[in-house]
Amino acid sequence: MRMTRRAAVLLVVPAVAAYIVFAIYPLVRGIAVSFTDAKGLASGHFIGLQNYRVMLRDPTITAAFRNTIVYTIVVVVVQNSLALAVAWWMYSLPRIRNAIRASLLLPAMMALVAVSYLWSFIYSPLGGPLNIIMDTLGLRRLEQVWLGDPHTALMSIAAAYIWMYTGYTAAIYLSNYLAIPASVMEAAMIDGARGWKRFRTIDWPLLGPALTVNVTLATIGSLRVFDLPFIMTKGGPANSTQTLSLVIYQNSFAGFEFAYGTAIAVVLLVLTVVVGVTLTTLLRRREVAL
Amino acid sequence: MTRIADFASHLGLWPNSRTMRSQSRARHRPIRAISTAGLVLFGLLVLSPIVLMFSDSLRSDADVDAHPLGIPVHPEWHNYSAAFHEMNFSRTLGNTVLITGCSALVVALTGSMCAWSIVRHARRWSAITYQVFVAGLALPIFVLITPLYQLMHQLNLLDSFMGIILAYTALGLPFAVFFFTSFLRSVSVELEEAATIDGCGVIGTYWHVVLPMLRPATATLIIFSSLSVWNDLVLPLILLTSDSKKTVTLSVYSTIGTHSYSVGQLLPTVVLGTVPLFVIFLILQRHIVAGIGAGATKG
Repeated sequence: MRMTRRAAVLLVVPAVAAYIVFAIYPLVRGIAVSFTDAKGLASGHFIGLQNYRVMLRDPTITAAFRNTIVYTIVVVVVQNSLALAVAWWMYSLPRIRNAIRASLLLPAMMALVAVSYLWSFIYSPLGGPLNIIMDTLGLRRLEQVWLGDPHTALMSIAAAYIWMYTGYTAAIYLSNYLAIPASVMEAAMIDGARGWKRFRTIDWPLLGPALTVNVTLATIGSLRVFDLPFIMTKGGPANSTQTLSLVIYQNSFAGFEFAYGTAIAVVLLVLTVVVGVTLTTLLRRREVAL
Repeated sequence: MTRIADFASHLGLWPNSRTMRSQSRARHRPIRAISTAGLVLFGLLVLSPIVLMFSDSLRSDADVDAHPLGIPVHPEWHNYSAAFHEMNFSRTLGNTVLITGCSALVVALTGSMCAWSIVRHARRWSAITYQVFVAGLALPIFVLITPLYQLMHQLNLLDSFMGIILAYTALGLPFAVFFFTSFLRSVSVELEEAATIDGCGVIGTYWHVVLPMLRPATATLIIFSSLSVWNDLVLPLILLTSDSKKTVTLSVYSTIGTHSYSVGQLLPTVVLGTVPLFVIFLILQRHIVAGIGAGATKG
């Protein structure tokens, strides 16, 4: 069918209009506001890079920046390794594959808010379920005030997130596994490639598409982490769980420092773009090389 | 029996007969048995926090304090009636269904129209439009919340369903355009050409040919955008202020907040916030699993 230019434009208009007004315009406006001293809804004066200069010396922001990156690296690496192992495991057991996949997906159907409260309860220091279990297993020495200790708080939050999404990530790897033609696996079997050897030479290269999707999803998801620290720790103790999203929210909607909040948002945007472009380039190059 | 097994396998609770047969040929039986037991155990371990959530939600505070891992011997159902009342559950559930449903529908309609035009009217500007939408996939919502709040204030759309639905539409469009575009690129143009020859206009072709053709993609898209809207805390938190407009997720947050709430109050609230999605997952499991896999195998 030859679609006329007029028809093509008309079809695009509703989506483009909504997108420009409620996504692109706020984006541009946010960048502009970050160069002003606006507080609350009142518009401010242009102050150049002042907000960014203040940010460099703001210990909360530097902590948030560091935590966001550490959290993202831990989540991406641990979640993908774990999910890959689970997917391999599920793939080798077709009989129970579907039931296990469904069970593992259940946590990902919960709201992050619900997960936050559930894990706050599990981590509770005085007689909380986790510490009780460790008691029973004779691990009393390793018990922690999980969310109250600056050394464990961020990793405890990461653990809750990994619990939530490992099944989802594994399901993506599994569907990639199931898309590998049976003949390839049979040929590998005949050539005597099993276990680790088969994984390294056959599975790993062929799981490239799923790896790309999963690493990208996990990265984007954890760079914007908000709900978990917002509910579980409020960024504490001692800024150990501050994240960029959290400080954006706190500055804009608790302190009404709109200009400062948007300046931090610009930093998050730049970080996301840099990480995103780097990742895409690396993963593409890897897929092409294979 | 077959019917029941089919249904159970649809829910993923029962292996389907095909995989069972292929299994009977398995050689390494003992290793396989250990491996199976291990995987089942792992599954139970992952599920245990959820089981704990349900079981402790039915116990009294004193009971939970004494043994957090106990079984609800005398289920305290009034924990739930209290939470139901406290959260204004039926109201917030209605609000959530309305917001989720409207934004999913609008995203699906506008997104599919846009994608259709991008695919069938391949010009430089449509390629750019596509790129701009796809770039939005990585845009963190937190970059937008402050200016979005200012904009909604100016448009008088703060604390309105209209405002939040429009915001979700804009934020959902990048994925919708990306998803529909990749779907439409894989189907041939013949049906649409036949429709034009039969005298269908653009709108007629879209409505009678393109939309029905997109149905599987639309179903997946609606499920996934509903899940993300349903579970979102951020936009309701900044855009909705009055109690009567709260969503379930916001209501879980505002009911519990950061007070040291007792377990008997906390867990039933969390369960009520979670159960609707578990029910939907059980019903639509096959679509959800297929949708999760689609990205990896088509990409």
